[in-house]
This record gives sequence, structure tokens and C-alpha cells, in this order.
Amino acid sequence: MSAVWPVSRAAVRRRRIQTLVIGVVVLLSTTMIVVALGLLAASSGPFDQAYTKQHGAQLLASYDRTKVTDAQLTDAARSAAAVAGPFGQATVDVNTGGPATSLVLVGRADPAGTVDRLNVWKGRWADKPGEIVLNRNPTDSTGRGTPTLGSAMTVAGNNKLTIVGFAYSVSQSADAWVTPAQMTALKPTSTQMLYRFAHAATNAELTAGQNGVTAGLPSGALIGTQSYLALRAAAAGEPNTFVPFLMVFGWLGLAVAVLIVANVVSGAVVAGFKHIGVLKALGFTPSQVMVVYLGMVSIPAVVGCAGGVVLGNILATSLLTRAFENYGAEGIGVPIWVDVAALLGVPALVALSALVPALRARSLSAAQAISAGSAPQSGRALGVQRWLGGTRLPRSVSLGLGLPFARPGRTALTLAAVVLGVTSVTFAVGLGKSLTTYQTAASRVGAVDVTMFGGLKGNGPPPQGEGAPPVAKLTDAQDEALLRSTPGASSVAASAEVPMRMVGASTDLRVSFYRGDFQQVGFRIIEGKWFDGPGQVVVSERFLRQHGLAVGDTVVLQAQDKSVRVQIVGKALYNSGDEVLSNWQTLALVAPNQRASIYEITVKPGTDLDTYVSAVQAKDSGLLETDGQDAGSFVTIVLATVVLLTLMLGTVAALGVFNTVVLNTRERRRDLGMLKSIGMTPAQVTVMVVTSMVALGAIGGLLGIPLGMIAHRVVVPAMANGAQVEIPSFMLNVYPASLLALLILAGIVIAAAGAYVPARAAAHTTIAKVLHNE
Amino acid sequence: MTEDVGNGQAVVQLTAVRKEYGESVALDGVSLEIHAGEAVAVMGPSGSGKSTLLSMVAGLDRPTSGSVVVHGDDLGTLDEKGLALFRRRRIGMIFQFFNLLDDLSALDNVALAAQLTGTSASQARKRALELFEELGIAGRRNTYPSQLSGGERQRVAVARALMNRPAILLADEPTGALDTKAGEQVMDLLLDLNQIGQTLLLVTHDQQLATRCASRVIEFVDGQIAGERSLERTS
Repeated sequence: MSAVWPVSRAAVRRRRIQTLVIGVVVLLSTTMIVVALGLLAASSGPFDQAYTKQHGAQLLASYDRTKVTDAQLTDAARSAAAVAGPFGQATVDVNTGGPATSLVLVGRADPAGTVDRLNVWKGRWADKPGEIVLNRNPTDSTGRGTPTLGSAMTVAGNNKLTIVGFAYSVSQSADAWVTPAQMTALKPTSTQMLYRFAHAATNAELTAGQNGVTAGLPSGALIGTQSYLALRAAAAGEPNTFVPFLMVFGWLGLAVAVLIVANVVSGAVVAGFKHIGVLKALGFTPSQVMVVYLGMVSIPAVVGCAGGVVLGNILATSLLTRAFENYGAEGIGVPIWVDVAALLGVPALVALSALVPALRARSLSAAQAISAGSAPQSGRALGVQRWLGGTRLPRSVSLGLGLPFARPGRTALTLAAVVLGVTSVTFAVGLGKSLTTYQTAASRVGAVDVTMFGGLKGNGPPPQGEGAPPVAKLTDAQDEALLRSTPGASSVAASAEVPMRMVGASTDLRVSFYRGDFQQVGFRIIEGKWFDGPGQVVVSERFLRQHGLAVGDTVVLQAQDKSVRVQIVGKALYNSGDEVLSNWQTLALVAPNQRASIYEITVKPGTDLDTYVSAVQAKDSGLLETDGQDAGSFVTIVLATVVLLTLMLGTVAALGVFNTVVLNTRERRRDLGMLKSIGMTPAQVTVMVVTSMVALGAIGGLLGIPLGMIAHRVVVPAMANGAQVEIPSFMLNVYPASLLALLILAGIVIAAAGAYVPARAAAHTTIAKVLHNE
Repeated sequence: MTEDVGNGQAVVQLTAVRKEYGESVALDGVSLEIHAGEAVAVMGPSGSGKSTLLSMVAGLDRPTSGSVVVHGDDLGTLDEKGLALFRRRRIGMIFQFFNLLDDLSALDNVALAAQLTGTSASQARKRALELFEELGIAGRRNTYPSQLSGGERQRVAVARALMNRPAILLADEPTGALDTKAGEQVMDLLLDLNQIGQTLLLVTHDQQLATRCASRVIEFVDGQIAGERSLERTS
């Protein structure tokens, strides 16, 4: 084989452009594949590892202490594989000198146990009353205002507790822990039980486990639960959003790479008949000739693949670290099997695509190869050429249109590359439109014309002195009346936001209580209905998924010392998993004296917003106009990624065309020289060569569009599922006829862009030598 | 078949033309004139600069120094497009290996030259057919190059070269790839063309072709004119 290597290396050097094209295409597609597979493989890995290490609770349940005793709970828990509790639990107000907050506090004697083994990573566990341990991730930032070890905090009125340690619970079983004695003194309102079951891989198994441990308990005793599957899904939400479309782009990229490689090797074999003949005449065996041609593409493929693996690891690690920083994400990366699979699989795929033309080189006889010309055989699609020659089209155009028929195999490969490019563009455009439409609807951008801040939340004394924010001068009712009566107003919705907790869950909720024209502020109900009475809430898909709930379920919300049982009556389209919508009648059950803090106003067409705001502020200078809703950054990141990948794939497809045109013009340099010798201008040569590919582009557009639309239909719901949101079906109908017409242009643009540079080069080559020598 | 330039006037004027390809000198200060109606043969050993001279006259390549004027056009002043238009209107070329487009029929190969000037397909085919009849290959008009004999291919190439009534017909070893009989036929054809006024510039190794077709022979050695002689045609 010693003779094969220098010949392969020389072939690589001789075909620098094709080598570069193969290397770049393989690099880009490998990068996408590695990122997608890396995210897929590692999307729940960090959470699972941390959960296993802590023996995390698979089900966290809160019980009403007035309805069930600790002994009953312990007795009922016998069906669980492991259990921790009962622990006293209370949601308490906290005063650390900053803004008022609340904590889910649990009384626990020690951090160990069979379930939820806490990692006390700083300080020690609380061993006497007056001490508290806070739940905090070691990787959380510790900026200004963050509680420090040894500092004191006042909870539940006047109970002063000293922070003696920081622990971390992956199960999110509490915000803080105290001794059981201290909890008794704080008067717990509920009892916490933590369970692990023999089978808990699915929601059904968890439900079965829950039914087992609650069997026989009094009705209404269970007031809240938290599933580890919901926490797991929340943790993997961001990577799972990226995986579907990265997979699509990755496979599309790889398919284009295979097509281009097949095209390059076929072209090299066709153009290199004489070279093959010479090699055989020198004594190369058929297999050695085949290896030369395989080696020619394998060298750039291996280099591109290695680069793609490195780049893919960097990108995937960055995404995973960002997604899993809460689970100790140091060292999270792409699993080694992904790298190995890519390093072996991609070059193997490339070599396989080169195999058929390489086998052709292998089977050629030396005499046949040496005597073969590089020009196409006659008789091929000649009727088309003749017909085109008789049309009224400029001759450079009609000649160009006929060129693809000279090499139908190459034309098919190039067409496939263009089809995949158009598929990518179609898919990306649809994805972008769906995401933008969703984001606009979900974030309510532009839904209201004016948003005014009405002053403080709650009813405390307004802050005094210089620098204190202005407050509304009028009462809540007077302000609403003022906003409604000011000329131009069309609708006014008032809202107050109250921080609350859902019993059984440790995450903070923001509950927005609405009155007035709340149906005009941009929320779209996608299941159930709007609230129309006290004790009703509307939530998001993400909220339901993260808490394992459904429309129709009832939950208990707590704020300060008040609890309210509410029913989920509807699901609205918005992103947040910790925001709950309710009405003023429900607020009256929690904070009856609360005033509205935000007024959202729509105005009649033609109303000048500045005039409206000025008129309002003339009567209440404390009402301030604030910025409306803005779109979140996540969709922007996804869109930027999609645009980047589309450009990459579009470029890859254009490189496929580029490669074909380079091969065609090299093979036809004699013909091009002749055409120039009889007076074809450089511009006509360029037109002829570009036209030969533009026709393919138009056909590629027609074929690629439906494929892109299918990919869009499959991927967008999968992304929504990963992101724990719901995309209504109307947001998938994003391809109007005008857009489809434009998308056909995408194929033409890809083809023209790929063909232009080699066409120009062909138009300006020196032709004298080509014509004088066979 | 020429236009504008009458017999006796210089159709081609080369003045001190030098052409270098890197270190090697292909033409070294060549000056010559070719007059309307002349048939000039350029002869010499391989690498003497014959084909380079032809490329200069055809505007396929540019001299490193010196000037080339053909039918009043100073080729040094023309850009790429200008050179293409010049070739289209003034030059007809035939090559040793014919250089026909394999995808086009013989008739379409010839018609192509006129279609590039904007002539309609039907007009171009009509004119091509006239040439086919003049050259005795009308029966082969719908045949593809690979199905033609060498002599027939060269006749098609000649027809294509004559399509736009060129000022000068350039022939690069026109019989080099042909058997004796076909070569004779092509020689006769060129002679006939010259006798009806077509200016010819032949590059050839073939002494017989030169003596039969040319009225003047220019000898090239190492890129320079080594000698020049007028001939009495043998036909």
C-alpha cells in the first residue's frame, strides 16, 4: 500500500477545492450531529446523577395536619420502598431586612435518612432551636444581599433564627430546615412525607405509588404533591427544546455531505479515467486504485469529522452547562460514545458514499480507461438539446438548460443537495414563524397600548423622602375610573401581583389577580375557560406539567398566613411556569385590601398615546407609564441558532452546487474554450453555466418545500413538548402561498450562489491551450 | 468571403509581438502582415511558437508586448467582451481535434455560431444548411459528432468557422488528426475557400498541406521568424 498513500495525497492536493468543500461540509454536519446527540444523551444525566446520589424523593407529599395524624401517615407509607417523614412544614414570612419573602420551612432532625439525603456543603445541620439551615445550590452566585453563615433572619413574625449551615436538596423538599422542636414552636400547618417507590419510571407508576401511600387516609388529607418526573422534565427543558431541530439540521447536513462526496468521487473518477488507466498501466491493482479514490475523500472527511467533534463538544458543553448549572454541571459534556460514534460513523458514511464510484474506477480496464475521453458520451438527452436549440431563448440560456441532461447522475446528486438545502430553509422559515408567533402571543407583546404602574403592592405606608417612587394619589377605584373616563380608552384591566406558594411545591409563584377587561390584555385561553367566580385560577401548560396537574384539578395556594383552595379552570398561552392568573374575587379571599398595581389599557384607533397618558397624569401624577411586555430571550436564542444553522446548511447546499459546477466546467473546458473561440462573451459563459444550475434550483425548490413543511410539522410540536409549552395548531399553519412562492426562490438562490463563482472562473479561463491540445 | 477589406490590404498586422509564459519565451519580437485573400502557412518544429501566434491573431491570448491589429481592430485595446465580439465577427477557427460539441447535432454545432450573434434559430439553421450543401455534408446534418468520420467532423468545423463570414480563417493543424484521404479533402476545401477570396492562416507541420494550400510560408524557430517564402500552388 506504500504506493497508494502518495498517490492519494497527490489527488487531495490536486483537488484542493473539492477537498476543502468535503472538509467544510463534513465539519459542519458533524458539529450539528454531535451537539444534537450530546444534548439528547445528556439531557437528563446531571439531574439523574444528583438525584441518585441524594436518594431523592420520587414523590413529595404535603398533608393537612388537621385531617391526618403522623401515626396514620407512617402506617400508610408501608407500601413505599423508602420513606422520610413525617416532618412538620410551614410557609413562613421572612424578614432579612430586604423585601418581604416567604419560605417553605420543614422541621428535620438530621440531613441523612433513606430519602432526600441532604448535602450540607457549608456550616453544619441545625441541632437546637433558634438555628436554621438554608437550601442553596453550591453553584449559586453569592452576590450582595445573599444571606451569609452566622447572620440572623426573622421568620413568622418575631422568631429570630441564626443561619448555621447551607444544604442542598435536589428534590427541592424545602427552602430551609429547622429542628423539629423549633418547627413545633412555629406551629406547622402541614406535614411533609418523602417517598421512594419500587417502580417510579413513569407518571402512571408514580400515581400507583401515591395511591398506595394515601390509601385509607381521610378524604382531603392530601393537599399537595410534587413529582420528581416534573422536576426532571423542567431540568431537561432547555436542552430538549434544542434537540429536535438540531437533529433535523444534523441529519440534513450529513445527507448533503454524503451527496457531495458521492458527486466529488464520481466526478473525479469520470475526469480521471486516464489517470486511472495510467495507474493500472503502472501496475496498481484494481483494489489499490479503489483505495486511492476512497483515500482522496477520506482524508478531508476524517479531518473535517475530527474538527466537527471538537466544535460539537465545545458547543454542547456550553449549552449543557448553562442548562444544568443548578445540578452541579461542572464536567458535564458530551458522552464519549457520541464522540466515538461520530468519529467512526461519519467517515464510514462518507467512505460508503464514495464506494460506488470508487468501485467503478476499480473495474475499469487499463486500455478502456486510457482511451476514454472525459467528454460525455453522445446520444444522451440529445433530443432535449435539439429542442432547446430551436426555442427563442438566448443561445447561452438554452445551452445552459441542456447541460444538466448531459450527466443525469451528477444532476440527480446536485438536485438532491439543493432539495435538502431548500428543505432546510423551508423548515427554518416555518420554525421561525411559529416560534415568533408563539412568543408574541405568549409574551403578549403589543397586546395593550399603555401600561401604567399604580403604586405599591399591598397597603403599607408609601415610602417617603427624596428618591422614593411616586405613588398613586387617588384610590384604586378612582384610578380605574379615571383611566376608563379619559378620552380614547377602550378597555382597562387592573391587576395586583401577590407572591404565593402552592402547598406541596417549594417554588415561588406569582399570582396576578385581575379585574375589569382582563380578556383584552392578550392572554389566549387554549383549554377550559376564564375564571368567573372566586377560587378559580388559569395557568400555563408549563405550570401544569411541572406540577403534574391538569385543568379541573384543585390546589391550595398560600400567602403569608392565608390559604385558599383554588380550582384550575383554564389553560392560557404563556411561557411562565411560576405565574398564575386569577381574579379579584379570589384576591378578596387572600388580601382583601390589596390595591391594583398595574393598569393595562387599550385605546381606540387614532388615539394619541402621549395625549392619553398626559391627561391621566394631570389628574393623578402618581400613575406612571411603564414598559409593556417584552419577548423573552430564549426564543431569540433558538431563532438565532436556527438562522445560523440555516445559513450553514444553505451554504453547504450551495457548496454542493459549487462542486458540481467546478466538475462540469473542468470536464467541459474544451467545449467552453470552443464556445469562446466562436465569440461567446464571458457574460454569456457565466449565464450559460449559472442557468444550468438555476433550473435545478427551481426544481429543487418545488421538491424541497413539502419536505421542509413536513419537518416543520414534526419538529415544532416536539420542541414545544421539550420546552413544556403548547403550540396551538393554528401556529403551525405558517406557509401562505406568497411565502411558498418565495421559498421556490430559495432553491434558485442556492443554485445561483453556488454556480456563480465557478461560472465566472470558467468565463475568464485562458482558452488557447485547451483548444490546441487534446 | 471577406467583407470590408479588399484584396491586397493587410488583414493582420503584428508588430514586435513578444509572448512569455513564465521563464519561457513563446514569441520573440514577431512582426508580420497578412493581406486579404492570402493563404499563409506557418511552419516550424514543436514549441517554435506557431500555435501561440495563432492564439494572438484569434484574440485567444494577449501578447506580453507588441501590438496585434486584425481587420483594423487593435486587440490590445479590447477587453474580454470586446475580444469575444471580435472573434464572433472577424475570426473563424478550425482545430486539429475539431472541438465540436458532442451534445449538439452537426447542424446545431454550426448554427450555434450564428445564434450567438442574435440570429434566430431558424435563420441560423437555414444558413448552416447552405454551408452544409456547399461543403457536401448536407446528408449528415442531423448526425452527432461521435457518429461522423474525422473528415466529416473537420468539414463541420469548417462550416462553423465560416458561419459568420470571417475576415480570416485560422486553421491549427487542420489535417493533423485525419487519414490521408480525409486530409486531402480538407486541403481541397481550404484551397477552394481561398480561391474564392477567403484569407487563410494555417499552422501546420504538413509540408504537403502548406505547398498545396498556401501562397506564402513563414518558418518559425524558437519564437522568431526564421524565414519566409512565396509558393506556387501545386494544385
